Amino acid sequence: MIQANCTRRLPEFVLDVSLSVAPGETLVIQGESGAGKTSLLECIAGLAAPDCGTIIINQVTVWSSQDRINLSPQERAAGFVFQDTALFPHMCALENVSFAVTAGYRRRHETVPQKKAVAALAQQELERLGIAHLAHARPRMLSGGERQRLALARALAAQPSVLLLDEPFSALDRKTREEMWRIVRELKTGTRLSLVLVTHDHEEAQVLADRILQIDRGLIHDDA
Amino acid sequence: MNLLDPILLSLRVAGLATVITAVLGLFLAARLNATRSRPGRILAGGLESLILAPMVFPPTMTGYLLLLLLGPNGPVGSLWGASGGLLFSWLAAVIASVVVSLPLMYQSAKTALTSVDPHCIAAARTLGSSERRIFWKITVPLAWPGIAGGMALAFARAIGEFGATLMVAGNIPGATQTIPLALYSAVESGNTSAANLLLGVTVALSFAIVIVVRWSERRTAASRAHRLAGGGSR
Repeated sequence: MIQANCTRRLPEFVLDVSLSVAPGETLVIQGESGAGKTSLLECIAGLAAPDCGTIIINQVTVWSSQDRINLSPQERAAGFVFQDTALFPHMCALENVSFAVTAGYRRRHETVPQKKAVAALAQQELERLGIAHLAHARPRMLSGGERQRLALARALAAQPSVLLLDEPFSALDRKTREEMWRIVRELKTGTRLSLVLVTHDHEEAQVLADRILQIDRGLIHDDA
Repeated sequence: MNLLDPILLSLRVAGLATVITAVLGLFLAARLNATRSRPGRILAGGLESLILAPMVFPPTMTGYLLLLLLGPNGPVGSLWGASGGLLFSWLAAVIASVVVSLPLMYQSAKTALTSVDPHCIAAARTLGSSERRIFWKITVPLAWPGIAGGMALAFARAIGEFGATLMVAGNIPGATQTIPLALYSAVESGNTSAANLLLGVTVALSFAIVIVVRWSERRTAASRAHRLAGGGSR
């Protein structure tokens, strides 16, 4: 669950948003390039600080200007899938996901299992996303769709409480994009993971959203 | 003239100086680069100027400053007791090499660290990884070609160090006489064959260093081009 009520001064306008996402809900934030979509996700994830307001993730206040609370991205448990995937290029697919599995255990202050057990959990995640056969491939050897699946597998492997997707499918061809939509819909089934997807693609919003918000120059002014 | 001693001593001095410079340069580049607050940036700027000063300072002047610092009455040398301990020892040569090669390592490490894709670091943070783990598992491996290039340059600078080493370590055969000092002594005494041999060793080492630097530059350029082209990590 996410509750965000914050403002942030950007070079061209002020981001001023108020939104909430229920457990298991997929909220799509739709808007043109430069409308403030990515900045909003960065504020929720802790990669950028708002100027004032409050952000609550799963009943934990992660940002509050009034109470001077600013939890680090590491403490927020907000998975983030970047448009450019941001995969670690020096690691193979399995190592990328294993890194996330280990990070997830450490964040939850749980004992990290043996290397083999971590690799087995990472392998399971790759299987779930249908890329187990690419476990030993480096990111540069993968296609755009495979890279996005890997980025999704890595984000999920850390067991986040919310998942933020920053136009992850915008650079993919139509067929691959539809495949990714199917995967995201399947992932949602049976989980209470809150998803926030930002996109400028109207069709993508219609296919994936439980609820759509429009954002324009930092202001949310339409709830379709 | 025994030529093996200065060669082995130079390798020992430059090797140890490179290890110290690499650790120090990487640590300083990471710390100063991460400073965000305004007073912190001012302090970092001052410290950076101090680190880079030996690059523009005449080596003999750097040596004289070190002599004042490490001498029996200097702030560092006095800690060693009245014997003047550090001066005119091979460790003094290591210290001189560290001081003159640190600017090269620092600059290379700084460039290498800032060329790492910030989205990779951000992604690791959102996964919950600690800053320490991100540094060792993500930042350093991705910056490694630049760091290796910096180490090669630092080694080259250390092995060629003359002025500052002469001031603080002297030119004692078998004890503090490194390749450049032995070459100077050989030329001064008209021992051309010894000078030519030392020249050959230095040329061979220089070629090896240039190969490492070129390799690291190619790797850094390739990874930057790959990132900008939107492949691999992007």
